[in-house]
Amino acid sequence: MSIVHIDNVTKTYRQGKVDVHALSGISLDISKGGFTVLAGPSGSGKTTLLNLMGGLDNPTSGSITLDGEVITGLSQSRLADMRLEKIGFVFQAYNLIPVLSAQENVEYVMLMQGVPAKERSERARAVLDDVGLEGKYSRRPAELSGGQQQRVAVARAIVSHPSIVLADEPTANLDSKTGQGLLEIMCEMNEKRNATFIFSTHDQMVMDYAKRLVHLKDGRIVDDETR
Amino acid sequence: MEILMAWRNVWRNPRRSVLTILAIAFACLLLIFMLSFQFGMYEVMINAAVKVQTGHLQVIAKDYDKDMKMRWVVEDPQAVGDLMLAVPHITAHTFRANGFALLSSRDRTYGGMVTGVLPAREREISSTASTIRQGAYLEPGDTNQAVVGSLLAKNLHISVGDELVLLGNARDGSIAATVLNVKGVFSSGMDEYDRSAIQIPLPYFQEVFAMRGAVHQVVAVCDSLTAVGPAQSTVTGNLPKVKSKRNLECKSWDELLPGLIQSIQMDLGGGIIFYLILIVVVAFSIMNTFLMAVFERTHEFGTLMAIGAKPARLTKMLLYESAFLTSCGIILGIAAGCALTIYVESTGITLGEAQGMLRQYGIPNVMRPELSWLTAVTGPFVVFFITMLTALYPAFKVRKLKPVEAMHAI
Amino acid sequence: MQLQLAWRNIWRNPRRTLIILTAVVIGAWTMLFFGALSRGMAESMLTNSINNLTGHIQIQKQGYRDDPVVENRINDPTPIKALLDQDLPPEAKWAFRIEVNGVASNARNSKGVTIVGIDPDREPDLSFYGQSVTEGRALRPDDAHGILVGQGLLDSMDTKPGRKIVLMTQGADKETASRAFKIRGVYRAELEATEKRYVFVTLPAARKLLGVKNAVTSACIRLPEREQVGPMAETLGKHLPKGLSLLTWEDMLPLLTGYLSMFDSFMFLWYLVVFVAMGFGIVNTTLMAVLERTREFGLLKALGMKPARIVRGVLTECLILLLVGLVAGNALGLLTVLVLSGGIDLSFMAEGSQYFGMSHLIFPKLMARDVVAANGVILVLGLLVSLYPALKAGRITPVEAMAQT
Repeated sequence: MSIVHIDNVTKTYRQGKVDVHALSGISLDISKGGFTVLAGPSGSGKTTLLNLMGGLDNPTSGSITLDGEVITGLSQSRLADMRLEKIGFVFQAYNLIPVLSAQENVEYVMLMQGVPAKERSERARAVLDDVGLEGKYSRRPAELSGGQQQRVAVARAIVSHPSIVLADEPTANLDSKTGQGLLEIMCEMNEKRNATFIFSTHDQMVMDYAKRLVHLKDGRIVDDETR
Repeated sequence: MEILMAWRNVWRNPRRSVLTILAIAFACLLLIFMLSFQFGMYEVMINAAVKVQTGHLQVIAKDYDKDMKMRWVVEDPQAVGDLMLAVPHITAHTFRANGFALLSSRDRTYGGMVTGVLPAREREISSTASTIRQGAYLEPGDTNQAVVGSLLAKNLHISVGDELVLLGNARDGSIAATVLNVKGVFSSGMDEYDRSAIQIPLPYFQEVFAMRGAVHQVVAVCDSLTAVGPAQSTVTGNLPKVKSKRNLECKSWDELLPGLIQSIQMDLGGGIIFYLILIVVVAFSIMNTFLMAVFERTHEFGTLMAIGAKPARLTKMLLYESAFLTSCGIILGIAAGCALTIYVESTGITLGEAQGMLRQYGIPNVMRPELSWLTAVTGPFVVFFITMLTALYPAFKVRKLKPVEAMHAI
Repeated sequence: MQLQLAWRNIWRNPRRTLIILTAVVIGAWTMLFFGALSRGMAESMLTNSINNLTGHIQIQKQGYRDDPVVENRINDPTPIKALLDQDLPPEAKWAFRIEVNGVASNARNSKGVTIVGIDPDREPDLSFYGQSVTEGRALRPDDAHGILVGQGLLDSMDTKPGRKIVLMTQGADKETASRAFKIRGVYRAELEATEKRYVFVTLPAARKLLGVKNAVTSACIRLPEREQVGPMAETLGKHLPKGLSLLTWEDMLPLLTGYLSMFDSFMFLWYLVVFVAMGFGIVNTTLMAVLERTREFGLLKALGMKPARIVRGVLTECLILLLVGLVAGNALGLLTVLVLSGGIDLSFMAEGSQYFGMSHLIFPKLMARDVVAANGVILVLGLLVSLYPALKAGRITPVEAMAQT
């Protein structure tokens, strides 16, 4: 059963006076619970594709179906709701809220979903424990290492049981050892919570963890292998 | 948690926030002090004019306040007086009659406004008795005794005990003439009044000016300024019962002193324009802080939107932040403004060379601001309002952000 | 090159620059416009007072000013005439007067007035006399029984032109003197108080009333420009006959003079207040701009730029910002004053403005001194407060800068 269905999607940006074709006709089906990696050099369109799947941007043409719902052309407000309920994001630069502690960063998503305070706190701590951050609940991002920050980001992405977790080059800012630790944790979460993980990367180590590896180049799929 | 978040965001850049808070506090401080100062001054001016001249209410023949004609009299002052006794909040009343006369001492002649007063009752209403500089105030039973304004006494070269020849027009057009004994010299502090005023006992005035028992003004004071309005309408309602050839009217102090009221309005109006401009300058000064709060954190807002925050939530958060910042400034400003005002209230301000000028308006040499709820809160309230208005621009600007572009911004 | 760089740096964030420029422009504009308006009000008070028979310079018997009675008259004015004819520039105007306090009465009313005996040929150049005779006509030089009264007095005395008025005052013999006059005309003045206070008769008529021969109480002089008063008073003072005193308008209007001198401090205070209000914005904005460019400054330093040069660069940016704001603010201020040069009508506040001795029409008056003061305050203090962010920029070290993302 596919959770993401991408049908002949193109995306054209206007950069200065030239049109840049970021994606030119991509069709892709990703099944539930998978660990998919979008690989390719920079400029291949993997981040754009990830943004489109996350409803952060609208395609120029084609359509995207997420968990049975067509998200192409939805209003900004609907898209925001959709992101809140169904999608977790992990960014290359962690993107934590600097003024909030680790626990508060994780709680913030649940706050927006209207989860009661007590439950929020319990769930946030549980998930922080899962990613190996016991006892670091009240540290601010500035007091955490890069790897720890990215773990908070993973915790934030999975705490509300999203159907899909989108991770844009999550290990790019980490050294290989930390990156590997993070990937282990993500694999564990992938299995434990049965969430669909979709990565973009050009890091070979990440590709090694992939159950399905989709290669992109110049906005087209050039290779698609399932292991 | 969002409030906490806003609070922490305010202090992310302490230097900037402190500068902004100081700007807001400065505006509040200035407004509180200046408004207190102005209102303190107005109160002194009003009190001086009311105490020395008009009282709170006057019953007079129609238009007597505009043109003090001898023949425009209240013929039956007792009837008006009885009527006033029955009006709540009127604490005292007295009768006065006025006539212009030529006053001659041994070697000088000046014109002056002679007022016939009831000494015992006048003491309760006006401050003249307490401003006697030389000699004593009139007593009931005095006849041809007079108290004279200090500047008039100086012009006439007279002091206590001297004789003064009075020559004027009586009510019936005949000549009013008598010789007065100077019993005291008063100095009300209002130059205009001290230069021309002279008081003699009312019965003696009525005799000299052939008043046939009539007076010109029935002057009353109320227990508070707010009681003046209701008391005035009660008196006005009852006036038709009093028989009079010329219609009587009851006027309040502000109607009797239109120049004073308008000059206050002018001063206040000018002040308000100054203050508004000041606030606008402050608003533009701090607008950049609010704007920066958005643009610096564009990336962060992008993230928040990506994880599902709606624009309304971001707007709310920014408004919380602005409200915190503004509130800090206002609280600081109110505290500092009140402290400064209370301090100056106790020391007073001496205005150097302008004193003489201000004395014309009955303002004493040492001016004191007067802090009240009104003066302490009005300014800061307006500052808060305008500052928050300024904050609306960036707070709504954030709604235009698109998550992808926002996250790519640095 | 440095200037060009600074200029470009300013426009790196146009919105921010425009906002802080707005603050500077509004500040400069209000300083200028309200300065001009307040000056106009003060000027109006001054002009009214000078027109009110004060003139620029008066020559009086010593003691007359404190005790303006007939006793303190000048019995023989010929030396004064000789002196004035000799020393005054041809454009200056002057006339003799007799000015005493008295009472005007008719059958029903008496009012205290100032009786002014004038030379009908010369007085119109000196004071408001004769400027607005609304009914009847002004006095003729040979008129021995004519009187010109103000509308205010006319109303309050229930009389009209052609009727009689009796003037009473203290004569030269210390007895009460009186004389009947016929109302020839009615004048209007800016202030009702003026209309009620002054009545005009001819000099000979005033002399007859007082029982004196050739005497006057004062000579009133009006110069083409107020600025000439000081030097002229000095010249005249040297040859002044004994027993006389020379008074300038500043001597005669001590209250107003005091007020005007305080006025300058008030204006300066107002400038400071407005400046502080925008000063916070200038500091904050410059500080933001500097901190944003921490990396850039660090790099420049790493490349070997001296801190002083960085400080100068930031100050140049502030200077340009201030100058642009000032030019716009000044232009706006000038424009506003120009648009309102027809006068601002305050007649809806007539009684209030009269209370302050002002006309109901206020003409904003832009004085070079105020323009310089306003611009000076903004420029000097503006640069002074910019020193803080500028020095901060100068202190940024390359290592620090690179550590910051």
